[in-house]
Amino acid sequence: MTPKKFDYYSPTSINEAIQLLHDNEDSKVLAGGQSLLALMKLRLAAPSALVDISKLQEMSYVREDKDYLGIGALTIHDIIEHNQTIKKKFTLLTDAASKIGDQQIRNVGTIGGSSCHADPAADLPTALSAVNAHFVIRSGKGQRIVPATEFFVDLFQTAVGHDEVLSEIRLPYLPPRSGSGYIKHSRREGDFAIVGTGVVLTMGDGNVCKDIRIALGAVSATPLRAKSAEEYLKGKTLDDKNIADAAEIANEGADPPSDMHGSKEYRMEMIKVFTRRTVKLAMSRVM
Amino acid sequence: MATVMELVKESEVQWVGQPLKRKEDPRLITGLGKFVDDVKLPGLAFASILRSPYASAKIKRVDVSRAEKAPGVICTLTGSDVSKLTDPFLQISSAPANKVKDYCLAVDKVHFVGEPVAAVVAETRAEAEDAMELIEVDYEPEEHVLDARKALEKDAPLVHEQVGSNLVFHGKWDYGDIEDAIRKADRVVNAKLHFHRFSSTPIENNGVVVNYDRATGFLNIYCNNQMPMFCIPWLSFGLKFPSNKIRMITGDIGGGFGTKIISYPYIALICLLSMKAKRPVKWTEDRREHMFANHGNERSFDVEVPVKKDGTILGFKVSAFDDCGAYTRYEPAGATIWAQVSPGVYHFPNLKVDFFQVMTNKAPVGPNRGYSRMQHLWMIERTVDIIAKELGLDPADVRLKNYVRSDEMPYVTPSGGIYDGGDYSESLRKAMKLIDYDGLREEQARARKSGKLIGIGIATAVDSGTNNFGQVKIITDDNPFSGNSEAARVSIDGLGQFQVGLGTVPQGQGHETFAAQIVADEFGINPDQITVLSGFDSAINPYSHQSGSYASRSAVMGTGALLGATKKLKEKVAMIAAHLMKTLPENISFSEGNVVDKQTGKKMPIWQIANVAWVNNVLLPEGMEPGLVALNFWRPNFTLPDEKWRLNQTLTYSYQTHIAAIELDPESGKFKILRYVIVDDCGTQINPMIVEGQVHGAAAHGIGAAMFEEFNYDENGQLNSNTFIDYLVPSAVEIPHLITGHLEIPSLFAPKGIRGVGEGGGTPLGAISNAVEDALAPFGLQITDSHQNPQHIHKLIREKISKLNQVR
Repeated sequence: MTPKKFDYYSPTSINEAIQLLHDNEDSKVLAGGQSLLALMKLRLAAPSALVDISKLQEMSYVREDKDYLGIGALTIHDIIEHNQTIKKKFTLLTDAASKIGDQQIRNVGTIGGSSCHADPAADLPTALSAVNAHFVIRSGKGQRIVPATEFFVDLFQTAVGHDEVLSEIRLPYLPPRSGSGYIKHSRREGDFAIVGTGVVLTMGDGNVCKDIRIALGAVSATPLRAKSAEEYLKGKTLDDKNIADAAEIANEGADPPSDMHGSKEYRMEMIKVFTRRTVKLAMSRVM
Repeated sequence: MATVMELVKESEVQWVGQPLKRKEDPRLITGLGKFVDDVKLPGLAFASILRSPYASAKIKRVDVSRAEKAPGVICTLTGSDVSKLTDPFLQISSAPANKVKDYCLAVDKVHFVGEPVAAVVAETRAEAEDAMELIEVDYEPEEHVLDARKALEKDAPLVHEQVGSNLVFHGKWDYGDIEDAIRKADRVVNAKLHFHRFSSTPIENNGVVVNYDRATGFLNIYCNNQMPMFCIPWLSFGLKFPSNKIRMITGDIGGGFGTKIISYPYIALICLLSMKAKRPVKWTEDRREHMFANHGNERSFDVEVPVKKDGTILGFKVSAFDDCGAYTRYEPAGATIWAQVSPGVYHFPNLKVDFFQVMTNKAPVGPNRGYSRMQHLWMIERTVDIIAKELGLDPADVRLKNYVRSDEMPYVTPSGGIYDGGDYSESLRKAMKLIDYDGLREEQARARKSGKLIGIGIATAVDSGTNNFGQVKIITDDNPFSGNSEAARVSIDGLGQFQVGLGTVPQGQGHETFAAQIVADEFGINPDQITVLSGFDSAINPYSHQSGSYASRSAVMGTGALLGATKKLKEKVAMIAAHLMKTLPENISFSEGNVVDKQTGKKMPIWQIANVAWVNNVLLPEGMEPGLVALNFWRPNFTLPDEKWRLNQTLTYSYQTHIAAIELDPESGKFKILRYVIVDDCGTQINPMIVEGQVHGAAAHGIGAAMFEEFNYDENGQLNSNTFIDYLVPSAVEIPHLITGHLEIPSLFAPKGIRGVGEGGGTPLGAISNAVEDALAPFGLQITDSHQNPQHIHKLIREKISKLNQVR
C-alpha cells in the first residue's frame, strides 16, 4: 500500500497552482487527500504529480454575500459542521458534514475536495445538489460559475477541467419559510451512504409546498434529483399522505449499484423511506 | 501515574485481586512501545508479496526478469524456487487431507484470491511494490467452489486435486441415545443455521523481520506470532533448518486474537528471502493483505432438538459443515475444539454431532477469538430461543430449566469435559436484574402496541481456556501433541532485585502486571519491585514448545509456572536464611522484602541473602550451588481421548451471560442497541481491571461480528470486503455502554481458582441474533444467520408482508 512515484508541488497561490496543473499532464490537485491518497495507496490512482493546494489558507472561509453564502473550497468538514450561519441557513450541510467519516477525516477533508472527487455515495455532493449550489471554477482564462446540475458530470467526474481549480461554492439564500435536512442511511456512522437524501423546501401559505428540491446520493453515477417527487409535491399540502405518495415515486430514474451493504432493490426501497423522513425533517426546520 | 502503593497502603496486602494499573501502559500510551515494524537493522531490505487475483487457477508461467532489473531490487522468489528450497509444511490432518501441499508461495496452482505467488526484496518498500507490478504471471483459471456443502458434492471442483476430495475431516461424536430421545420427545425442533465468516482485525497486522546471520548460522526472527515456539517444527521441517539455530523474538504486539498463530508461512518466506538477499529483510503486512488471508471459520448447521413441553431439552442432533478455506494450517484442530463446550451451558445427556470440515477456494482460516466454540455455542443459543418460541415459553425460563446446576459441579459433559465450577442460573438472574428484564418485557409490550419493535436477546456461553492438545489425537493418533505446558523463571540478582521471565507471548493482555502481582504475593513485596521481561525472546525467556498466548491460557498457565518457580526460589532463600540466622528453613516466612524467623521475629532483608547467594558465597551452606534462579515448567493434569473421543479438552471453563435490548426499524431493517448487560465469571480475578478490559473487548468483537463485520465473497471468489470501507469494524460510536457484573466462583482445578478470560465465547452473536428475532416476533420471522445485515432483515420483513397480503 505504497503509492507509485509522483512529483509533489506546493504552490503559494491559486494562479501558481493552475499553472502547475497546466504544466504537468497527469497531475492532480491535492486538497485534504482523504480520498485521493487512499486511492493512490491502493494504486487505483497514480498521478504523475500532486499539486498540493492545502496550504492556501485564503481558500478556507465562509462569507455572507448579498445573494448567497460563499464557502471557500478548502473549508474543512469540521468547520462546515460547526459554522453557525450554515447551521441556521443550510442545516442540511451541517447534517451532511457531521456524518462524514470520523473526526480525523473531518479535520482535513474539504468541501471542495469532496465535490471534485464526486463519489456518488459521498454526503456533501448530494446535499449541495439539493441546495442547487453554484461552483466557482478558476482557470488561467478567468473564472466560470457552474450550477450543481451541471457540475456533477459522471462517476468521479465533474465540470472542473484538468488545469482548473474549484475555488468557491455558493449557496443561494433560501426564501423565508424554508427548511432543509440531510439523512444518510448507512450501516455505521461515517460510512459511505447506502442511500443519502437531501431536501430543501419552501412553504407557502399553510402547509403548501411552494418549492422543493430532493437530491439522492449513492443511487446513480451522480447525485440524482428526484424530479417526479418534487413536481408531485409542488403546490400540494405537505401532509403525511402527500409526502408518502411523493416518496413512492422518488426512485424514478434511480439506477443504484448493488453491493454487500445494499442491493439495488434495497436501495430503491430505501429511497422511498428516507425521502419521506427527510422531507419531514426539512419541514420541522421551516422558520 | 498512581503507584501501586497509593492504591493500597497496608503491608499485608494481597496483590492478587487488586485493579492495579498495568505496568505496560506508560510505554504503550506514550508511543514507546516496540512493535515488529519498529525493528530497524543495518542493511535492512524490504519485501513485497504478489498475490493471486484468482480463486483457482493453474500457474503457467512466472517471469521475474523485468522485476529483477527494476530500481532498487535485490532479489525475487517464486513458487518454483520455494518448491526446490523447502518441504511442504507439516499437516495435522489425517489421510488423505494430509496430502495438501502448503508452501510459503503457491506452486503450480493458486487456490484463493490473495494467495502469495511471488515476492520481491528491494531497498525500499515502495521499490519492492513497484517491481512487483513488473512480475508477469500467466494464469489458467479453473473451476472453483465457495460453499462448504457444495464442495462435498460429487462433481465439485477440487481445491487440491491430489487429495481427491474437499473433505478435511469427518468426525462422529455420539453420546447417549439421541434417536431414542427424539422418539420420546413431545416435540422436535428443527433449524438450519449459518455462522458467517469474519475475523478480529488486530490493530497491528502480521510482520516479520529476519536476519539470517551468516557468521553464526542463526536465523534471527523478529515477528509478532503469538505462539512462536509452536512455529518451530513448521519452520524447521519446512525450511530444513536446524531448530537450535532458530531464534524467535517478539516485542510488543498490537493484538492477535488467534489470527497471529498461523503466520508461519510468512515467517518461512522472509527467512528464505533473507538467506537469498544475504540481508536482513522486513515484511509488514498491509491492511488489505491482512483482509485477504486472515479469516475465521464459517460453519453451517442442521439441527434437531427433542424437547419436552415444559422446555426440557433432551439432546442435540447436529450436522455441522465447517468451511476452513483453501489450506488447513491449524485445522482440522478446530473440528475438535468445539467439543470443549459440547453441550454449552446445558444439561442434556444425548448428543450427536456429525462434523464435516471442508476446503473451499476462500482464504484459509485460523484461530480467532472464541475459536471454533463460538460457532457451536451460537448454534446452541440460537436454537434455545427457537425452542422457547415454538413452545411459547420465555427464553430465560427455558435456560433456567436446562442450565447445568451449581450443585452438579464439577460437571462432566457428554464428551468428557469437566466444568470446573460456577453458577449459570445465578449469572442469568444477575444479568436480568441489571437490565431490568421484567421492566423491559413490559416496555416491549407497550412499544409493540405503537408499532415499535423492541427485542430482547439472551445468551450464555462457556468460555473454555487452557487447551489440552490431546484433542488433536481425535484427528489422528499420529499427531505428536498432548497436554499443555508453560515455563517461568524467577530470579533475585546479587543486589536483591527481582526479575521474572515467562514463556507467554503477550499481545496486550498485561502479562507483566499479572505476573508481578502473583510473585509479589509470594515474597510479600510490592509489584513495583519486580521487573517482568517484556515480549519474548527464545534466547532469553524460558519457554516450552507450547508457550504462547492462545486459548485463554496465559493467566492460568503462567500462574502455574510462576508458583512452581517461586516455591523453588523461596525454598532456597529459606535454606540460606536459616543457615545465616541459625534457625530452621520451615521457620522462615517472607514479609515486606525481608525474611522473618517466625519464632524469634528476627528479620533479614532479602538483598543480604542474595548477596550471599551470588557474590559472598563462602557464607553459603556447605555444598549449596550459588545463585538465586528458579526455572519451572508446569503442566495441568490432562488425559488423552478415550475410544469415544471423551476427554477434558480444557482446564478452565469461564462463562458469560449477555442480554441485549434492541430497537429495530422495520422500514430499513437497521437496529440499535438500547441496553447491553454482561455478567462474567472467570473465577479468582488476578486483576479486575484487566478482566473488565477483556470482557469489554470480547463484547465489542462479538457485537462487531453480529452487526457489522463480514468477509463477503462474490460468485467469482473475489473478496468484496477487502478494506475497512466494506469490512465494518465498530467504533466507540457503535458499541453501547456496557453494563457489567461479575461472579467470582473459583475454579475447582486451576491454580488459585483462576480461569482464563478474554475470548468471551462469541456471546454477543447469540444475544443479538436472539434480540433481532425477538424484535421481529410480530412478523413471526426466524433468524438463521449469525450476521445481521439490515438489508437482509428488510428482505425478510418485505417477503413476510407480501405473503400476508397474498393471504388476505
